[in-house]
Amino acid sequence: MTITPPTAFGAMQLAGEPELPDILPPVRERHGIGGFVYRYPAIAIGGLLLTLLVAMAVLAPLLGTVDPAALAPSKRTRPPSVDYWFGSDMLGRDIYSRVIYGARVSLLVGFSVALLASLAGLVVGLVSGFVRWADGIIMRIMDGMMSIPPILLAVALMALTRGSVPNVIAAIAVAEFPRVARLVRGVVLSLREQPYVEAAIASGTRTPLIITRHILPNTIAPLTVQATYICASAMITESILSFIGAGTPPIIPSWGNIMADGRALWQVKPFIVFFPAIFLSVTVLAVNLLGDGLRDAVDPRMAKRL
Amino acid sequence: MDRRTFLKSSLGAAALSTTSAFPAPAIAQGAKGTLKFVPQANLANFDPIWGTQYVVRNASALVWDTLYGVNSKLEPQRQMVESEEVSSDGLTWTFKLRPGLKFHDGAPVLARDVVASLARWSVRDPMGQMIKAIEKELTAVDDKTVKWVLSKPFPKMKFALGKNNTPIAFIMPERIAKTDPFKQISEYVGSGPMKFARGEWVPGAKAVFEKFADYQPRAEAADWLAGGKVISIDRLEWVIMPDPATAAAALQSGEVDWWETPIPDLVPVLKRNRKIKVDIADPLGNIGSFRLNHLHPPFDNPKVRKAVQMALNQEDFMRAVVGSDDSLWKLLPSFFTPGTPYYTEAGGDALKGPRNLEGAKKLLAEAGYSGQPVTCIVAQDQAPLKAMGEVTADLLKKLGMTVDYVATDWGTVGQRRASKSPPGQGGWGMFHTWHAGADCATPASYNALRGTGDKAWFGWPNSPETEKQIAAWFEAKNVEEEKAAMARINKAAMDDVVYIPTGFYKGFQAWRSNISGVSGGPLPFFWNVKKA
Amino acid sequence: MLGFILRRIVSTIPVMGFVALFVFSLLYIAPGDPAVVIAGDQATPQDVERIRVSLGLDRPFLERFGEWSWRILHADLGTSMFTGLPVTKMIAQRLEPTLSLMLITLVLSIAIAVPIGVVAAWKAGSWLDRSLMGFAVFGFSVPVFVVGYLLAYVFALELDWLPVQGYTPLGDGLWPWLENLILPAIALGCVYIALIARITRASMLEVLQQDYIRTARAKGLAQRPILFVHALKNAAVPIVTVIGIGVALLIGGAVVTESVFAIPGLGRLTIDAILRRDYPVIQGIVLLFSFVYVLVNLLVDLVYTTLDPRIRY
Repeated sequence: MTITPPTAFGAMQLAGEPELPDILPPVRERHGIGGFVYRYPAIAIGGLLLTLLVAMAVLAPLLGTVDPAALAPSKRTRPPSVDYWFGSDMLGRDIYSRVIYGARVSLLVGFSVALLASLAGLVVGLVSGFVRWADGIIMRIMDGMMSIPPILLAVALMALTRGSVPNVIAAIAVAEFPRVARLVRGVVLSLREQPYVEAAIASGTRTPLIITRHILPNTIAPLTVQATYICASAMITESILSFIGAGTPPIIPSWGNIMADGRALWQVKPFIVFFPAIFLSVTVLAVNLLGDGLRDAVDPRMAKRL
Repeated sequence: MDRRTFLKSSLGAAALSTTSAFPAPAIAQGAKGTLKFVPQANLANFDPIWGTQYVVRNASALVWDTLYGVNSKLEPQRQMVESEEVSSDGLTWTFKLRPGLKFHDGAPVLARDVVASLARWSVRDPMGQMIKAIEKELTAVDDKTVKWVLSKPFPKMKFALGKNNTPIAFIMPERIAKTDPFKQISEYVGSGPMKFARGEWVPGAKAVFEKFADYQPRAEAADWLAGGKVISIDRLEWVIMPDPATAAAALQSGEVDWWETPIPDLVPVLKRNRKIKVDIADPLGNIGSFRLNHLHPPFDNPKVRKAVQMALNQEDFMRAVVGSDDSLWKLLPSFFTPGTPYYTEAGGDALKGPRNLEGAKKLLAEAGYSGQPVTCIVAQDQAPLKAMGEVTADLLKKLGMTVDYVATDWGTVGQRRASKSPPGQGGWGMFHTWHAGADCATPASYNALRGTGDKAWFGWPNSPETEKQIAAWFEAKNVEEEKAAMARINKAAMDDVVYIPTGFYKGFQAWRSNISGVSGGPLPFFWNVKKA
Repeated sequence: MLGFILRRIVSTIPVMGFVALFVFSLLYIAPGDPAVVIAGDQATPQDVERIRVSLGLDRPFLERFGEWSWRILHADLGTSMFTGLPVTKMIAQRLEPTLSLMLITLVLSIAIAVPIGVVAAWKAGSWLDRSLMGFAVFGFSVPVFVVGYLLAYVFALELDWLPVQGYTPLGDGLWPWLENLILPAIALGCVYIALIARITRASMLEVLQQDYIRTARAKGLAQRPILFVHALKNAAVPIVTVIGIGVALLIGGAVVTESVFAIPGLGRLTIDAILRRDYPVIQGIVLLFSFVYVLVNLLVDLVYTTLDPRIRY
């Protein structure tokens, strides 16, 4: 048996565990929604939570909210009450409305970063996997970027520009995408050695066709799983950027900047931090559950090929 | 060598090098004589002439001494000077140093040290520059006597040498004072009551000062920078805490003794703790500033500036900055510091009374405002500025103005506000800052009030009338004339909207009850502070 | 073996070179001016310009980069624009707290996470497994500063068991040192514990299905030795990998943890330096971080060879 030495640079996807063997093979087949829930509880729970959260973000104006940016400095830091369900913040803004509207920013950041980082990583990974001469250079550059802790890289990138949602998305995506590129390249390299791909190459099939026919279908699964983890970590990173003061300005509410605003008062007005923290944690939890579930469902042995 | 032994030996080597990376034990800390103080900001550099942040000045006031020092009435009193003499024409000043003054390295303080220090200071200080412009010669007559000959009288000489506004005229040894005023000094030796323990300085975390045993305090009682600076602690540790929640917790648990700037929202908790005392830190407080760019639309139009002035509600800004404690702030229809002798509200009607949003909108329409964006550059890393920025965004939107909100950090605001380009091309429309009340008691070193157009402070207000009245104040012969000039300055600056004050606010300081002798002032004074 | 190490070190040089160039260029184009911060609020534009010139900020990109690279080659990281102290000294001052925090976090996390993972794998599918893993996913999902504040509130302020903040050097005694690091290490370790527990469970599960484990069980060996000696050793490669990966994660988390607990470490130094635009300091730290990262990965690769003799370089 030959074992490919796991090079350290190659093993950089954060939560991509090597494998999770199918422990308990389903005893009996179930059908319908019940069966799905039984077989994939993580996907079901994560998906349901996430759907609810997305619905909440979309329907924000209908959920009894007021203008989340409306100031009322004379009614600041009110505890939760009938008027202010989650209390009011340092400038008298309604925390309930800010948390509900904040879901938009946090989810947008999570999804966009996942999408952007996956696309960029896919392109770079494919190029690296197919263009031999470029591989060395590209991977050294990716190594270089990965060797800077993602949060520091994102903070440094935010220093280049002003705090706004698109800039936060771009900064986090740049910090995350090299890991995806790594992953895709690994998939490409291992697929290239598969007999049917080798045959296709030998018979002169053009590269774009090989990519669309053989490579992409096999990349989608690990990429999707990776994307969910990136989505989760992007939401956490957004909150940390706000915590440091390099995130979105508070005139656009995000869970991160609501917490950042209230953090100095955690001892006296814990509700300012508490509500967005709960929402953020639940959302990240939902996305992580979804990721775990997808990973198990799509291909339990996926990681072995990486 | 086989693989395993290699690995073991390399691990061993790694372990060894890790241990050696830990520095030797720190100096033993005498618990009783050590005061732990949480300053307002990080002490990132230590040259009070080169860098003018308040925190640098506050640390420097321990290490370096001054010829004069202002007391709590802002009157300059003799400090290092034993006596002075002014010639009858007011052109020649002769200062005599008091005996026994020594630098921390043991060398006596000599007249040539004073000459070199004043020369370096006068390049950077606004009042110093005024003296330099009329200077004929600055010389050491003998070891203890300094002579400054001018071509025009400068009646505010003692105030200039003793003021607490940055940069303060600190006296350094000649070899240090010879450093280019635009370069940082590399040695921190002074003749002040405490020595700087440079070896223990960890910028961003800690700065340590030790009592200077050879310091000769004056016999008078200490009052701000004046009088006898008697040090009753052996060691002063500045502990830098960027997180106010952490600082509050540390004070409550007794891990630190004194916190310079507790945020007002946490003060109720501190007050409930019987082992903690809380009081106003600086009676002269701060003045919040809404700074407009007079060079470019929309604020190049006086009517647009007036419209914002008319609608701006100082109460909103002050609540956003200091929180719910109404004893901490005041409406300020003035550019000057309330509670100081020359305070005036003349011409400040525009900022008094109920706010007139509708009138402001009408004025905007009259001015032909047609939706040009106001580029607000807001520092997110400075809590008061961030809070004021959010109130401004709300205000401008209510006025129907277009807001381009640039959320950034103070370093970027500082750079961008210096740009005279139009807002769309790297320039700006408005930013917030604050001025220490101690700097705004008179026009003496009040850069932000100047209306010299292109040469003025950021925003470049052009207000000839303000300038005319400031000149009149400098030439005023007595208090009545000064007061009259100040009233006219205030009116002129309000009429031209040099900037818009967003209110006057004070901050707290908090300390453990076993500390005595803490007093209020524009900077923390450690003389006469005792720890039981 | 030695050849492998040499090759790895040589291949690291271009990586580090790229990092240096990348970071330098980023900072060059970044807005924000250290001269402005130094000069203070009352300074005139002329003053700021003179300070800029004295700091060398007015010179062209290539000239500054060339000079900086040349000094790096001589192991000189330059001096901070603000403090005037050598960057190497500023980093050295901050190294001990950060290293200590990471060390304690690492030890604590492994000590907690590996048993959790092993037990979860042993009881795979049970409610115990599910709740342990649920807890692990949750550990992933809570921002580190929220955990930090909670811990500080409960254990430092309310119960008064541990100090709220600060750092005491190891030289002042073992307990004072440890006492200050426990809460931050738990806060920082949350994510890490979750990560290691999950990976341990996954790779244990696989090993437990191997024939030799079944044989050992069939032979009637006690459970504990099977789990912790035979199985764990064979499941160790992925666990070590993820511990290595986590170092980058730790560095990132340390930034936040250090400011919550006022620990004077490298993370805070970095953020301060970025916000103030203290270019030489930022560059020095980033270089250091990438160097550590490369080094840790090399170590991880070396550990593989002892864990799994089949791996050779």
